[in-house]
Amino acid sequence: MSQVEKKAGLLRRTSSSKKPLKEKVVLMYDEIFAKEDPAKNNPRFWDELFLMKVNLEYLESKLESVDGEEVQRIQDNINSLFHHCVQALGEEHQIKVVNALQTLCALFRGVHQKNKSASGFDIINMLMGFDKAEQRMKDLMERLDSLLCGDGSESLKSLCLKLLLCLVTVTDNISQNTILEYVMINSIFEAILQILSDVSSRGQHGYDAVVLLALLVNYRKYESVNPYIVKLSIVDDEPTLDVSMLSLTGMGMVVHQALTEYNRQYKDKEEENQGGFFSTLTSMVGNMFIADADEKLSVQTNEAILLALYEAVHLNRNFITVLAQSHPEIDIAATPITPTPTTPTTPLGTTPPSLDMMNNPELPLDPNLQTSNLLITFLKYSSIVMQDTKDEHRLNSARLCLIILTCIAEDQYADAFLHDDNMNFRVNLHRMPMRHRKKAVDKNIPSRPLVCAVLDLMVEFIVTHMMKDFPMDLYLRCVQIIHKLLCYQKKCRIRLHYTWRELWSALINLLKFLLSNETTLLAKHNIFHLALLVVNLFNMFITYGDTFLPTSNSYDELYYEIVRMHQVFDNLYCMVLRVSTNTGQWKEAASKVTHALVNVRAIINHFNPKIESYAAVNHISQLSEEQVLEVVRSNYDTLTLKLQDGLDQFERYSEQPKEAAFFKELVRERGQNIVRSISLNVRKNVSLNTLSQDVLLKEFSTIS
Amino acid sequence: MRYKLSLRPITNKISYRELRSYEIRLFTHQAQKLAANVETFRLVQRLDLSGPSVRCLLTNSSGFILLQPDERGEPNRARPQTGPDGLLLRNWIRTRTRTRTRTRTRTRIKDLHPPRTLPGGNPHRTAAVGTLQREKAPRYAVPPLPPLLPPLPLVLRAPLTAPYHHHHHHHHHHHPQLQLPRPPPLSEQPSSPVLEPPQQQPQRQHRQHRQHWQQQRSSSASEGIGSSGTSSGGDPRGPSPPLDVISEDAMEMDLGVDQVIDPEVALKACQEVLLKVQLQNREVPEQQQLDNKQQQRQHYTDLTEGSGPQWHISPDTSSIKEEDEEEEEEGSSGKDGQKQSSVSQQDPRPSARQESSLLPLASSSSSSSSKQSWLLRLFESKLFDVSMAISYLYKSKEPGVQAYIGNRLFSFPDSDVDFYLPQLLQHVCAHGHRGGRRHQTVPGESSRHLDTWLLGAYSSDMHISTQRHSRGTKLRKLILSDDLKPSAPPSEAPRAASVSDSPVSSPLHRRCHRRHNSTNMEPTASPAPDNSVPGEVEVFVSPSRRTHQRSKSDATTTVSSGPGSGLRRTGSNPKVEAVHEEPERLRPQREFVKSLLAIGKRLATLPTKEQKTQRLISELSLLNHKLPARVWLPTAEHQHHVCRIPHTQAVVLNSKDKAPYIIYVEVLECVSFETSPVPVRIPETRIRSARSAENLDCGGVTAANANSGMTSEHRAGSFSTVPNYDNDDEAWATDDIGQLQVEAEAQTSSSDNISQFSVDSITSLESKEPVFIAAGDIRRRLSENLAHTPTSFRRDPEDPSAVALKEPWEEKVRRIREASPYGHLLNWKLLSVIVKCGDDLRQELLAYQVLRQLQSIWQQERVPLWIKPYKILVMSSDSGMIEPVLNAVSLHQVRKQSQLSLLDYFLQEHGSFTTEAFLTAQRNFVQSCAGYSLICYLLQVKDRHNGNILLDSEGHIIHIDFGFILSSSPRNLGFETSAFKLTSEFVDVMGGLDGDMFVYYKMLMLQGLIAARKHMEKVLQIVEIMQQGSHLPCFHGSSTIRGLKERFHMSLTEEQLQMLVEQLVDGSMRSITTKLYDSFQYVTNGIM
Repeated sequence: MSQVEKKAGLLRRTSSSKKPLKEKVVLMYDEIFAKEDPAKNNPRFWDELFLMKVNLEYLESKLESVDGEEVQRIQDNINSLFHHCVQALGEEHQIKVVNALQTLCALFRGVHQKNKSASGFDIINMLMGFDKAEQRMKDLMERLDSLLCGDGSESLKSLCLKLLLCLVTVTDNISQNTILEYVMINSIFEAILQILSDVSSRGQHGYDAVVLLALLVNYRKYESVNPYIVKLSIVDDEPTLDVSMLSLTGMGMVVHQALTEYNRQYKDKEEENQGGFFSTLTSMVGNMFIADADEKLSVQTNEAILLALYEAVHLNRNFITVLAQSHPEIDIAATPITPTPTTPTTPLGTTPPSLDMMNNPELPLDPNLQTSNLLITFLKYSSIVMQDTKDEHRLNSARLCLIILTCIAEDQYADAFLHDDNMNFRVNLHRMPMRHRKKAVDKNIPSRPLVCAVLDLMVEFIVTHMMKDFPMDLYLRCVQIIHKLLCYQKKCRIRLHYTWRELWSALINLLKFLLSNETTLLAKHNIFHLALLVVNLFNMFITYGDTFLPTSNSYDELYYEIVRMHQVFDNLYCMVLRVSTNTGQWKEAASKVTHALVNVRAIINHFNPKIESYAAVNHISQLSEEQVLEVVRSNYDTLTLKLQDGLDQFERYSEQPKEAAFFKELVRERGQNIVRSISLNVRKNVSLNTLSQDVLLKEFSTIS
Repeated sequence: MRYKLSLRPITNKISYRELRSYEIRLFTHQAQKLAANVETFRLVQRLDLSGPSVRCLLTNSSGFILLQPDERGEPNRARPQTGPDGLLLRNWIRTRTRTRTRTRTRTRIKDLHPPRTLPGGNPHRTAAVGTLQREKAPRYAVPPLPPLLPPLPLVLRAPLTAPYHHHHHHHHHHHPQLQLPRPPPLSEQPSSPVLEPPQQQPQRQHRQHRQHWQQQRSSSASEGIGSSGTSSGGDPRGPSPPLDVISEDAMEMDLGVDQVIDPEVALKACQEVLLKVQLQNREVPEQQQLDNKQQQRQHYTDLTEGSGPQWHISPDTSSIKEEDEEEEEEGSSGKDGQKQSSVSQQDPRPSARQESSLLPLASSSSSSSSKQSWLLRLFESKLFDVSMAISYLYKSKEPGVQAYIGNRLFSFPDSDVDFYLPQLLQHVCAHGHRGGRRHQTVPGESSRHLDTWLLGAYSSDMHISTQRHSRGTKLRKLILSDDLKPSAPPSEAPRAASVSDSPVSSPLHRRCHRRHNSTNMEPTASPAPDNSVPGEVEVFVSPSRRTHQRSKSDATTTVSSGPGSGLRRTGSNPKVEAVHEEPERLRPQREFVKSLLAIGKRLATLPTKEQKTQRLISELSLLNHKLPARVWLPTAEHQHHVCRIPHTQAVVLNSKDKAPYIIYVEVLECVSFETSPVPVRIPETRIRSARSAENLDCGGVTAANANSGMTSEHRAGSFSTVPNYDNDDEAWATDDIGQLQVEAEAQTSSSDNISQFSVDSITSLESKEPVFIAAGDIRRRLSENLAHTPTSFRRDPEDPSAVALKEPWEEKVRRIREASPYGHLLNWKLLSVIVKCGDDLRQELLAYQVLRQLQSIWQQERVPLWIKPYKILVMSSDSGMIEPVLNAVSLHQVRKQSQLSLLDYFLQEHGSFTTEAFLTAQRNFVQSCAGYSLICYLLQVKDRHNGNILLDSEGHIIHIDFGFILSSSPRNLGFETSAFKLTSEFVDVMGGLDGDMFVYYKMLMLQGLIAARKHMEKVLQIVEIMQQGSHLPCFHGSSTIRGLKERFHMSLTEEQLQMLVEQLVDGSMRSITTKLYDSFQYVTNGIM
């Protein structure tokens, strides 16, 4: 019988033979789900099973259909199936390995599907049996580890990663996935790193690996010690010549490529939209097929990448160096053997970074192509994401972006290269098209230190998000980022040649917005906190301007701007005074703002009369800017300011406890999405898997 | 193994090809003396076959003697013990006049020239003194003549041997002066002791007690001779005095690897020999006969000789002998009281006159004996310096002279010789057969591998003559493969370079070994490989084994066939390893340089400066990952390892289509880049610690589980890799920025009250005492701070280098040091270098040399001219590195950035007219201006637009870019006809035409010109040597040298010279073409 089967297996490539074979597999599945030990009658049952092409759908549905009692009955067989799957992973025959991997995938999914509410232990029991679970999982992880690190076929590795992703995302809430406890104990962190450090494998599996890592890091992040967090945080990636150490850089590359790809897609789309009638037409037609979901999906998946980026930036300080690395030639090493046709289509339903880009041995010497680095790409990406925060996903993405930027702004090394006068880049931030302004012409963006781009981005955000549905926390983060950068500049005496005026007017406009929407906003937010931060930014400039302003003129301009917009400050003062004198929820917050306004008011009260009298004396109704500046310059000496405390102090970012909820939610959501898309895709990929099987078959036949 | 000596004309039997196929090495100077005595043979080379057999080639203008192993010589095997000399000669030499002169010749030869190679078995030890010695030798001919006097009719048989002893003696006194510090004991034992067992002890004593030396020497010598004569007939066992001489001299002639004897010369020489022989030898017919039989003889082994001589040397040199004797007398007169040398020292300078008169004569030894002695004296006088040596090397066609000088070079300070490396290399490339000595010299003297690059450049230039080319490349290969091997004594390591292919180790190499060994007071016999008698083996083995063997024998001086053979460890063992390691040694460095150059090439493809700079920075950041490594900047003076390239500081320089760039390089100084351990890499983010700490501390609430153990373990691991990490949570709390703040406070002095306040205010939150500040203060501080920062240039995307170059060097160093993870190390230094691709820097190098030369001349003559030669490192014919001039920006940048006239810029930078600072700057300007005016005139430096003239922070101007000098000018547009560039702006800075400073300027020029004229030869010689075989554009045309010479105006009186200077200055000032050229540059290249 086995002879026949083998023959059939070999003949399987002819499509005609497909059907009976399928049935054979199904038959065998049925045997498993019978009470009896399938191996009883046929000692070679398991051997043969893994020679059969897997019928995922059948297996999964079978698992799902099993109800409580049956489970008990067939548990031994399922345990046995799981065991043999793990065993098969060690087989020489790659077909068996492939089939085992797919079977495992189906097992995990099927069991979870069935037992959505069941506790993790039940699931473990059902799959492996309590007593053997530890050993089984250890074996499984070891096998996977060796498959991932071995020289085996790339499609095998890809399948392994897919299995892991499947396992990780099988529950809605990653932290409820008890099986992952074993993944914690039997770490595959090194295998992931190795994939990331190797050029060719990074090209093919980097995306999966990074997503997997990000998810694993988020497993019970706050409840227990997650070894992946520990390990990720201590990877010392000083990229020595040792290839295995290049993993952080590799991770940076993967993120970089993913973000770049997103940016490119966005730009293409944008250009398409801007194109003439014809292109609009085509895009319309195209949209009919592609549908909007595409765009959203891409944002979602990039959230996973963004999460990975966050974890790397947040956990590993060495990753900061990777941010600034532009790697024109890091991938110079051997281009992988032509990506086999088995290259999985995107695992998550969107285009992963295109392979050719990943493997491009050298940065093209295209003069139009700017040297880029991860940080630049990230800034561009952020500028896109921040444009539209109405969507929940996008809002989360924007939040994540700002959190990452907060981490970056806090980091001394990152600040150092952000402010490095010698590292000038043109960063084309995407600006939301608005009625009252023209779209900035890209070409005119000067080449400046990166921090200018960050500030621009912040200014852009401030200006463009004053809406009813006020994203308060984003604004807070935004202002805090600016504050952190200013603190760095003050401490390091860096005189950045930046047009601070734009920032000032943006901030003043923000205050204005807060004032005019006081009632609506106060219902939901503590606007006084934000106002305090903004006013303190001004205080920074006023009291410490001498340490970081680029020219003495800029200090005059600051005063000019304050005096010019004095009404806003006056109104703000009135408002906070009013709130703080009333007893109420905001009393204290408002009174803080009143104190903070001391210097601004002093300036206004000092210079306004002077300017008025100047106008009166000179009989000028409308003073020019130059004239006002002149008045300002000549009247400094009579103005006394009060030194305020703690202006250059800021609260350091810490994920716990403030952000924990956000990340939990994010991961949960992420998990869901990924589960959805993964199950979707694995199903989709059945045909693909067949393909890879064929390839493997070929490989196999030539070897033996 | 026996050797026979065959003498025959070069053309005769051995083809050139055959010769080339051997490794020709310099043989001994004994052999040379032998040749000398035979009159014609001056040069001894050894052809080294791969096996243990040895061939020696004695050449001179007239032919050569081939010493080759005699396959039939087995019977003589037993003889070695009898005496080294005898053995040597017997085995090696086979004379033409075998019939008659056999015995005599033999005796003479062996006495006179115990071939050192034999005893030592290490040809490298053999020191060839060259012609001079040869000529000198006869003069000593007084001492007691050993029993075996050559009975030849030739006049001087008897005395001859003795003279040598004297000679050696003489050398004893004489030569040490020439030597660089070298432990005397070892140095005296070049010959392998094995060969002269009896003598050993006396010799050793001698080493320590020179006084006894002579007596013992002579006695032993005679003894040896006697015994050899009696016992083995042909094997006198003289103590081989020459050996000692040689060793003391440490003069090795290494004829290098791939020298080829010019066939024509050889042929001619051969004929000469014959002619001479016919004339001088009364046995003409026999001679002829001999000639005819030559070939035959070559293969002929005189077995019957037994105790008799196996070698036969033509007795043709009687008259020469006499001459030699005379010379020797002269020479020897100095031996005792060093009278001679003192005389020559007193003679202020042997003068060019003498030199020139001597030189041509040098080759015709027979007629110029007295002059030669003068030459010798000159050579040995203290005044004989590198410059002279080089010029002789260049001019002399005499192999002997060359050999001598080649060796003599080793006695000069390395730095001096290094200066002439380009010349030496050029010479090697151009004249392979003569270059041999230099071949040896080169690796020896150049401690770094820079010569390799250089050589690459030069040899690539030699494309015309493939022969030369191959010579160059071969040499280069040699150096690369074998140079810079680590030697046992670390301090010597960098110098211990030698050429592997030549059995003759470079003196330096040897020197260092000796030095090392001298500490082991008693050198011992080298253990003989194989089973043969030590001495014998030593003799034969050496050629085949290279450094290893060599060093071994270095370590062993006299043969104590007894114990203690293990002592050579120092010499040999490290070597053995080294041989394998060597190719690896230079690899990091080569890779480093290669990648720098590759970057330069890639940059050139990018269109804008901005992109170039960005690309440069990212490329360098990648390069940074591989540092620290055992790499160094060849332009630096101190030994160091490169530890980091602050990539963001790198900047692309102005150039139209190339992309030269300047990088700053952080280095850690070390004792020796070869042996000192490479510094450990410190991550960029050293201050940062793993954030996991934070996370784990808060997150690890449930840390009780099994993972916690692992966690803490990992943490510990990670922390240990992060230096400066304080594993304390408190430390964590004080974050980076907090630290920064403190640092910043420390730097900014008390002037910064505000920051002080802020610090205070943080701590004293409780005390609600309000602090008031005046807005005016803030504003004032701001403007003051801005004013105090030195004027910096605006950032200009089209000229990114302006800002970088304008920043004061100290400031830059401080800044980079602060940012560097290595900055805290005491031996941290910042260097900078310009990497240039696509330009041939050889001309720059030449200019650098000339500038250096002139600079030292002016220093010597105390003319306060100021110039700044910047170092050049030629990598290949189109790439190289340049030492940047610190704190200097180009006039173009000054003008463009400041929009001021030069004078106003001076005022802005240095203060008003009367300030000290301005006056100093003005003086600096004048002195440098005068210096460069002269240089521009002498070298005809063209392309003098403002981008090529720098102005440093002290007011000096510095000319850069010597791409157009001597005979070449840019596109020959006919611009720049004036002698040098002197614009009215310059004159304004000098205080106008009537100003004192302008007068001073002209005076300086006059003084400078006079001084330069005085030492014209030194300058000329540099250029002249480089001209040979060169295709540099600056040598275009035939009159380059002549033109240069003319510009020194040797014939003018000082008054006339003054007139000339006036004229030049006047002409330059009025020159329309200067202005034209400037505007031309402005129009075409935007250079203001």
